[in-house]
Amino acid sequence: MSRPNHAEISVEHLTKQYSKVRAVDDLSFTVHAGRVTGFLGPNGAGKTTTLRMVLGLVTPTSGTATIGGVRYVDLPDPIRHVGAILEASSAHRGRSARNHLRVICRAAGLPDRRADEVLEMVGLHTVGGRKFKGYSLGMKQRLGIAAAMLGDPRVLILDEPANGLDPEGIRWMRDLLKAFAAEGRAVLVSSHLLGEMQQLADDVVIIAAGRLIRQGPVSDVLGETAGVAKVRVRTPQAEQLSAALRDAQLEVAVQPDGSLQVLGAEPARVGNVAFTAGVELHELIGEAADLERVFLELTAGKAGAR
Amino acid sequence: MNLISAELLKLRTTALWWIFAIILVPLWGLALGFNWLTMNAALSLSEADLEEAGLGDLERLVSGLYTSGQFSGVLLVLLLSAILVTSEFFHLTATSTFLTTPRRERVIIAKMVVAVIIAVVVWLFTTVLNLALSPIVLGTMDQPTYLGEPFVWQAIGLNGLAFVLWSLLGVGAGVLIRSQIGATITLSVVYVIGTQVLSVIFVVLSEFVWEPFMDLRVLVPTFASDLLISGPQLPDDPPRWVGGVILIGYAAVMSVIGTLVTKRRDIG
Repeated sequence: MSRPNHAEISVEHLTKQYSKVRAVDDLSFTVHAGRVTGFLGPNGAGKTTTLRMVLGLVTPTSGTATIGGVRYVDLPDPIRHVGAILEASSAHRGRSARNHLRVICRAAGLPDRRADEVLEMVGLHTVGGRKFKGYSLGMKQRLGIAAAMLGDPRVLILDEPANGLDPEGIRWMRDLLKAFAAEGRAVLVSSHLLGEMQQLADDVVIIAAGRLIRQGPVSDVLGETAGVAKVRVRTPQAEQLSAALRDAQLEVAVQPDGSLQVLGAEPARVGNVAFTAGVELHELIGEAADLERVFLELTAGKAGAR
Repeated sequence: MNLISAELLKLRTTALWWIFAIILVPLWGLALGFNWLTMNAALSLSEADLEEAGLGDLERLVSGLYTSGQFSGVLLVLLLSAILVTSEFFHLTATSTFLTTPRRERVIIAKMVVAVIIAVVVWLFTTVLNLALSPIVLGTMDQPTYLGEPFVWQAIGLNGLAFVLWSLLGVGAGVLIRSQIGATITLSVVYVIGTQVLSVIFVVLSEFVWEPFMDLRVLVPTFASDLLISGPQLPDDPPRWVGGVILIGYAAVMSVIGTLVTKRRDIG
């Protein structure tokens, strides 16, 4: 149990067939202890369905999802092992936040004081007595995290937790999840905010149309496509520069805004070609491979294919 | 036990229970007043006229007085029991509930226990009020209290049984119907006007289709409930225990089907 980096969540050949749509299609991946794993995919890729199958809320058509080798529904007192945040608006509108947490404590056999402890942890202790309907979206997200922390779990599963959070809230969440992973726990977090994920995740699992596209450490996934460096260049003499770049065996594409995109070259090379050709440059930008671009390239055309 | 405690806390921490309590008190008062007036009117009639007016015998009237508030009380318990389940879906708390307790049948069982507790509390509440006020009501009509008569205590006991069985039926209905508005409307309509409407249907069926259909009207839950509480009214009516068995049957079948459905259903 204390062994670092062992697989905490193991998804094997998971499939969910709805009457017409195969929401999740033979999906396999693992989530390791001590790491934040980003679960990425376009809207409708099957992220939420997958997480709900991992948590025993949705029954898979086939395949298995286990946590520490055990199905969620077979875990004794599961919230002591797994904390989950699935949707912000999941408390009774007329019940106070503190009572919402106490209900969960009672059901899980945890002492009532855990409710106050986690409220303090997420900074809601001063508004714990307020009814849920008076909560802002950001406060609801914090309450969701508080609920997930009640059982002091070793695995945390979050579905789009950044939704509704302001930039400060997002930073707070990022620090919290990183600290959580640093303690040797496993974090699986789905998101469509890819920039955020690049700063947060150690590993990524990318899916589209219910299928696995790529899994691995963020650096590896970025590296796979880093070879295709791109340079954006803006010049009043676009035709002249295009010709010169093609002469230099570089691939050039004219962008809708009139700038040129050069594939397979470093900015220095492009600058050198332009200088040699006597072309005036107004802008020269090397576009480093980022998760967003990699993601778009990997999932391009797959979202609509269902 | 943890789950029952959690379900009781859920009930206590929203406004619903005391809204129902506030509704219950005037409805109980109305029922007592109505029973008082009925009895007053009945006592001025002779034994034969009583039968003719469809008021039953004195025993039945006294029993009715000591179980005042049953009609509205059972309705409120029935609705509250259903809402114990439907509110989980209405307020999207089912996810949180089933994450904490993935063995969903345990949640349903805990809700049934809480529904029975509600039923017993409402029954105790109305019974205490009735035991306090009915002797006074009877006194104003120069009647004895009848508290030494076994039939009064039998009526009170059967009243409690009816409360409990209807609460279980409510949980089962809530699981099956799931929509909060759908469940409350369906249950209210079936409970309030079901007996009359369905009795007409059964009369028509027995008249024009097949006579034994009339015997089947005991299958209507409200009719079965009446049979259990008041005993047979017509010579052809089945004995009292049949009503109890039918109500238990409804509660059991709906609970089992509801639990199986809940176990298989995808949440969210």
